[in-house]
Amino acid sequence: MVSLSAASLAERDSTGLTFVAEMYGLQQDQLAELLDLTARQIRALIGRWTQRGLAESAILSPGPPWIWLTRAGLQACGLRYTATSPALPRLAHIRATTAVRLALEHAPGYADGGAHWRSERRLRARLGGRLGNREHLPDAEVHWPDSGPAPWAGECWAIEVELTAKTVTRTTAIMRELLARTGDYGCRAAEVRVAGSPPRHDRAIYLCSPGAAATVRRAREALGTLATRIEVRGLPAAAYLQLRQRAETA
Amino acid sequence: MTGRRSSAGATRRAVAALAIACALIVLAPATIVAVLAAGGAWLRGWQPARLYRAAAWCAPMVIAWLIAAASHGSDPLLAPYDAWLAVWHARSAGLLLTAAVDVAPAAVPLGLLLGGLAWSARIADMASAAGGRRPGAAIAFDQRQWRHQARSAAARIAAPGSVPLLTARGDFAAGATIRTVGHPARPLTTLPEARLRAHQVVIGSPGTGKTTLLLRLWAAFMAAGLRRHAAGQGGPPLIVMIDCKGGADARRIADRARRVLRDAGARSFAVWPDDATLNLWTLPPRQLTTTLVDLIEHGTGGAAYYTDVMDAVVALAVDAPPGPPVSSADFLARLDPGWLALAYSAGGYDHQLQLARAAAHQVPDVALRFRTLFRRLGPGLDGPGDFADADAWYCILEGTGELAVAEAQARAVMDLLAGYVVREPGQARPTLLAVDEFSAVARRLPIWQLYERARSLGLAVQVSAQSWHGLAPDEDERYRIATAAEGGIWLLRTAHPEPVTGLAGVRRTVDSSRTLLGFLRWSRQGNSRVRDGPVADPAIIRALDVGQAAYIYRGGVTYTQIKRLVSGPAALAAAPRAAPPPAAEVEAVPAALADISSFLDEAFGTGSA
Repeated sequence: MVSLSAASLAERDSTGLTFVAEMYGLQQDQLAELLDLTARQIRALIGRWTQRGLAESAILSPGPPWIWLTRAGLQACGLRYTATSPALPRLAHIRATTAVRLALEHAPGYADGGAHWRSERRLRARLGGRLGNREHLPDAEVHWPDSGPAPWAGECWAIEVELTAKTVTRTTAIMRELLARTGDYGCRAAEVRVAGSPPRHDRAIYLCSPGAAATVRRAREALGTLATRIEVRGLPAAAYLQLRQRAETA
Repeated sequence: MTGRRSSAGATRRAVAALAIACALIVLAPATIVAVLAAGGAWLRGWQPARLYRAAAWCAPMVIAWLIAAASHGSDPLLAPYDAWLAVWHARSAGLLLTAAVDVAPAAVPLGLLLGGLAWSARIADMASAAGGRRPGAAIAFDQRQWRHQARSAAARIAAPGSVPLLTARGDFAAGATIRTVGHPARPLTTLPEARLRAHQVVIGSPGTGKTTLLLRLWAAFMAAGLRRHAAGQGGPPLIVMIDCKGGADARRIADRARRVLRDAGARSFAVWPDDATLNLWTLPPRQLTTTLVDLIEHGTGGAAYYTDVMDAVVALAVDAPPGPPVSSADFLARLDPGWLALAYSAGGYDHQLQLARAAAHQVPDVALRFRTLFRRLGPGLDGPGDFADADAWYCILEGTGELAVAEAQARAVMDLLAGYVVREPGQARPTLLAVDEFSAVARRLPIWQLYERARSLGLAVQVSAQSWHGLAPDEDERYRIATAAEGGIWLLRTAHPEPVTGLAGVRRTVDSSRTLLGFLRWSRQGNSRVRDGPVADPAIIRALDVGQAAYIYRGGVTYTQIKRLVSGPAALAAAPRAAPPPAAEVEAVPAALADISSFLDEAFGTGSA
């Protein structure tokens, strides 16, 4: 017989582990926000995961420790990703993307519409290492099922998180590529862009830091009629890595 | 008397040789290991220290073996003797494998130690030219050892994952060490990451692997900088590479740099002026005036008068009351006597108005020169764009095709970079300025001035050239650059390495001579003397193979086999800038999209970024 607390624990484990796996890894505070747990509870949960060999935890950047799944953890989730710690140069980006996902999932319309987050890690895994140098991969896709009540049901959105500004030319090129793509990631080369076929991404949602927003806006202006399919918003406040100085002053 | 003494000496030597031979036979297992170890070290070109380290690593095995012996009731102190006895008994019984296993814990470390000592004695003997049957044997030995060491280093870098870009400690790994003089001998050539943020010099003839080395240095700077940034120890790194040769070759290198730096973590890479632009008009007005005047070539002597006139006219156009110009078209529109008079006609500018009227005759000439200059420069400096827009910039100057244009571009790019660093000091971005063959375009910005400016701005400068003479126009400047390279000097194969190897200094070596007894017969008697020899041997530098480099730093040199970075597949041709969208894209735009603003407001708050 399984007690109620044990059942909810198992559900938390499953939700948390899958989320961590899809995002490469995440910081303790974001995991606490996802599972709605206190700092003490989340430390206990992470301790249990690491004890079972499902996850590893370490301080990789300023702020709370990072958690990522081991090979055993990924296998427990049924995912065939390569088990590795989050790459240090990408920590800031991973945190920002996670914050965007959390913000979206907390919005009432997201759950009501039955939306589904398809992470960059999943997209990359579909490509199987065949990502061309010029082929751009969005930071995530959000799929809205046809059956949902939202007016945008049936759409697929490309999510782009911009912490640092690229050149306007490069950003425009990425926007065009996202909006012109017709095939799924990992499809045959001939299906990537097929004239006349409906685009894969109905819209691209750009979540920008203040430093990158101006470049993204200028790039959107350069798109002409396609600009209507680009949405530019600011990143949530929790998207940034906690700098050491900030932590000290706090 | 002499004959009796020499006969006694010969007897002593014979007895000693006999005793050593007996000891080696008695210690046969250790002797076999020693012979194999010394032979292996000779074949692979290892230093004796490596054998000593291997012997030290056997310590856990020896301890475990002694503990096992003690647990079986034997005296641990007598365990080696017991093992030695057991070996001979097992050998007598024909059980060679059992004998080898029994004695291995004692014989392996002892043999490695003996092998190391023997190999060390051999190297010292040959280094002083006292060993070998003939005096030339030492030279042949050294050349053979170089071949063995180079072969081992090449094999090491060929193994996948054997040479990471950054080690676990964050040091930069350049490749596999071939040989060191005055530096610690390690299998990998590693440099502290801080040395990447200091001035460096790279010299190498075409086709010797200079670009491979530069790409590795740039990737390491980027990866290490991002690692520090992630740890909250500084801003994101910025690399500005200036290729002063131009042409198709520069584009090919730019593409390689793009792939390598993206793999190293760079999020954005800009190639100027091909797919990105900079904005000259963002410079502060005072600096803008100086830069604009310096972009135009002008003479000395009587021509200085025209220079002063031009300076005055440009200052009038830049400092005009409406504010500094925002584009070349705006600037050219201001180079008009009527415009200048009108701009300064409001009260309070009497002096400037007088100046504008006095220079009215020269203004059209000045305008003509700038119109020509901007036409030749193209749109690359007319914005929009800033060094903040990308993590890495590859600036291509057409120094081979259009020297005058390249000189002007070099001046402008340098001023823009200096302006960017001064303007945003709070960001504290570690910046590397890598210039290749800069001396070719350095007429208007002497390279020593570049060094001084970079130092004052906190930039690291990496100067690369195909030869010592390509480093700077005159000898004084070359030495000034080479001696200021606190991050070290990388020397690939080059025909004239002496000035650089001279900077590595000398070291004391022992040189021996021998007596010639007759035709091809040398005595083993002779004299040895201490003499000064170069730390970095110019003959070795001249004979370096492709991918081999000498790293000179603090009176020592490390010869290394550079590990080539393997990047992703070659990029497709860049899409032309501002190209109209293909028809397919236009057709694919959905007819009407639902408004998602309310949903995004719920998730991210109201208002766009």
